[in-house]
Amino acid sequence: MRDSVVMHEDRPDTAPGAGPVLELAGVRKTFDGFVAVERIDLQVAEGEFFTIVGPSGSGKTTLLRMLAGMEHPTEGDIIVRGRSVRHLPPNKRPTCLVFQSLALFPHRTVGENIEFPLKMRKVPPADRRVRALELMRMVRLPEGYYAKNVTKCSGGERQRVALARALAYDPEILLFDEPLSAIDYKLRKTLEKELKDLHKETGKTFIYITHSLEEAMVMSDRIGVMRGGRLVQVGTPEDIYTRPTDRFVCEFMGEVNVLPVVAADGAYVCAGLTGRFTPPPGGPQPPKGFIVVRPEFLHFVEDDDTTTENVIVGTIYNEYSLGSRMQYQVRVGDKTFIVEQSRRHACSGAPDRPVRIGWHARDAIFVAE
Amino acid sequence: MNPQEQRLRRARLMTAAWTGFVLLVIYLPVLCSALASLGKGRYFLFPIRGWSVDWWARTLDSIEIGMLLRTSLALAAAVTVVAVAAGFFGALAFARYDWSGRRLYQKIVLLPIFFPQPVLGLALLLWFNAVGMEMSWRTAIVAHLVWIVPVVTLVIAIKVYGFDPALEEAAFDLGASRLQVLREVTLPILWPGIWSGALFAFLLSWGNFPLSLYTTGADSTVPEWLYAKMIAGYTPMVPTLGTMSTIAAASALGIGALAAMLMKRRRAA
Repeated sequence: MRDSVVMHEDRPDTAPGAGPVLELAGVRKTFDGFVAVERIDLQVAEGEFFTIVGPSGSGKTTLLRMLAGMEHPTEGDIIVRGRSVRHLPPNKRPTCLVFQSLALFPHRTVGENIEFPLKMRKVPPADRRVRALELMRMVRLPEGYYAKNVTKCSGGERQRVALARALAYDPEILLFDEPLSAIDYKLRKTLEKELKDLHKETGKTFIYITHSLEEAMVMSDRIGVMRGGRLVQVGTPEDIYTRPTDRFVCEFMGEVNVLPVVAADGAYVCAGLTGRFTPPPGGPQPPKGFIVVRPEFLHFVEDDDTTTENVIVGTIYNEYSLGSRMQYQVRVGDKTFIVEQSRRHACSGAPDRPVRIGWHARDAIFVAE
Repeated sequence: MNPQEQRLRRARLMTAAWTGFVLLVIYLPVLCSALASLGKGRYFLFPIRGWSVDWWARTLDSIEIGMLLRTSLALAAAVTVVAVAAGFFGALAFARYDWSGRRLYQKIVLLPIFFPQPVLGLALLLWFNAVGMEMSWRTAIVAHLVWIVPVVTLVIAIKVYGFDPALEEAAFDLGASRLQVLREVTLPILWPGIWSGALFAFLLSWGNFPLSLYTTGADSTVPEWLYAKMIAGYTPMVPTLGTMSTIAAASALGIGALAAMLMKRRRAA
């Protein structure tokens, strides 16, 4: 047996958590002088669900394609379990990619699609069938689908077929290129949970890319935020949510209120707003930066409230029902703030009437310029 | 019946009538030659006085005709094999891969189709002479290919354009070798395009006259013989062979369509 061929028998018996399964060392990729990925260093632990988030053009797809072997890094090395895979083609790598388009073979049945990697490895047909049916059970596809044409399957079923086919390859690392982006909201939520369950069940390392931080939050153990070919922040969903390191990461998370501020006598002021703002306690306090307040941390300030350090007066411009919560747009001068409150704390004020909104210093995030 | 239904019915009737008329105009000449082949007389005169299949029997028995058919068949078969092989890879270069000379290639590959065939035939004849090749049906293979490969390339390229390159990447990623990718994914998916390309190649070669005229040398193909006999020495074997040829081509198409249908049904099952 050639040592380059992926076979689970020759895997070392490493316990989960014993060293990274994947290591990127200074990986860089340029296309005709255009830098798609800029010197990425990253370690992914065994069995981890790692998600790379970034807007389109941030280099996340290029990075994933390098991991799969469809692109080769201009510089740097990709190491899987201590062995460089940099020069290996996709069919010799212990990774398998689930494509955005899923790339199911339209001329094959569900069963034949799932058995494809086994057939390539010359597994006898009877064994292939047993394994395919096992995988179909795992991804919750009914047994009757075995002989069904893939082109006749629904979107969700096709997802499951693609997943089962990738698992049939038995990779060390499963790579996902936004496979859920074309799926409607409700089904996507179901599939996100199923994917997370499957991750637990198989114990394999998952590397997932998406442009939706919300999707990343639901599934991941750790998240890497990418921008302009760089990983700007890597951390747990909790880290990313509560301690974003820059303005881009904050804004990428969805609707947030960002105040550009400059220091003045121990506090901060913002051009166009009256009042002085207290930065969150602890941490450095550079002369310039941004105070970021999430909509759910902005609240309406009653007249007898003395604990809210930061208060602004504005007018309610519009309100939206988000189901269990209400969202308000509050205009202050030429700025618009977004306030989200549960219905219990809903604002009684009518539109176009002045309201006081504010936040506790501890709830805000301060990021340097 | 309300007026709207009536109008719809009338429109349907008119469509059917028009379709019938067009088909009649197209197939009347073919029908006439079939009728001419079934006459008893030596000359083609309407109305046909006596019917017979005598000329069909004589055509089938003729050694000369047998040779013509063998030559035409060998020529068309050779052209089909080479044109499909060249056209398949040509189509991948045309529609699938991005390479530096691609735009130029896409234009140049089409030029022979626009070149008048008699001129192309003559040019090839001069060229074959210049390099000292002896003319036979084998040189005609080269001549036919010049014109037919671009057509086959285009026919297959249309199918390649609709082919998601991610499928090949996925197969490669799932452990297939380059050869396995070709055999398991690329070829089966492009198969309908390859099949129509082959059909085109065969029929275009089978019916080609201007290129064969200049480049077959002493050998003669069916269209060449038909032309020569019509110019001088008409015999009812001309319409007979013409009709036979048409029937053969129609059956080839029919068998092709049937094979495609059966394959589709098997896949759907």
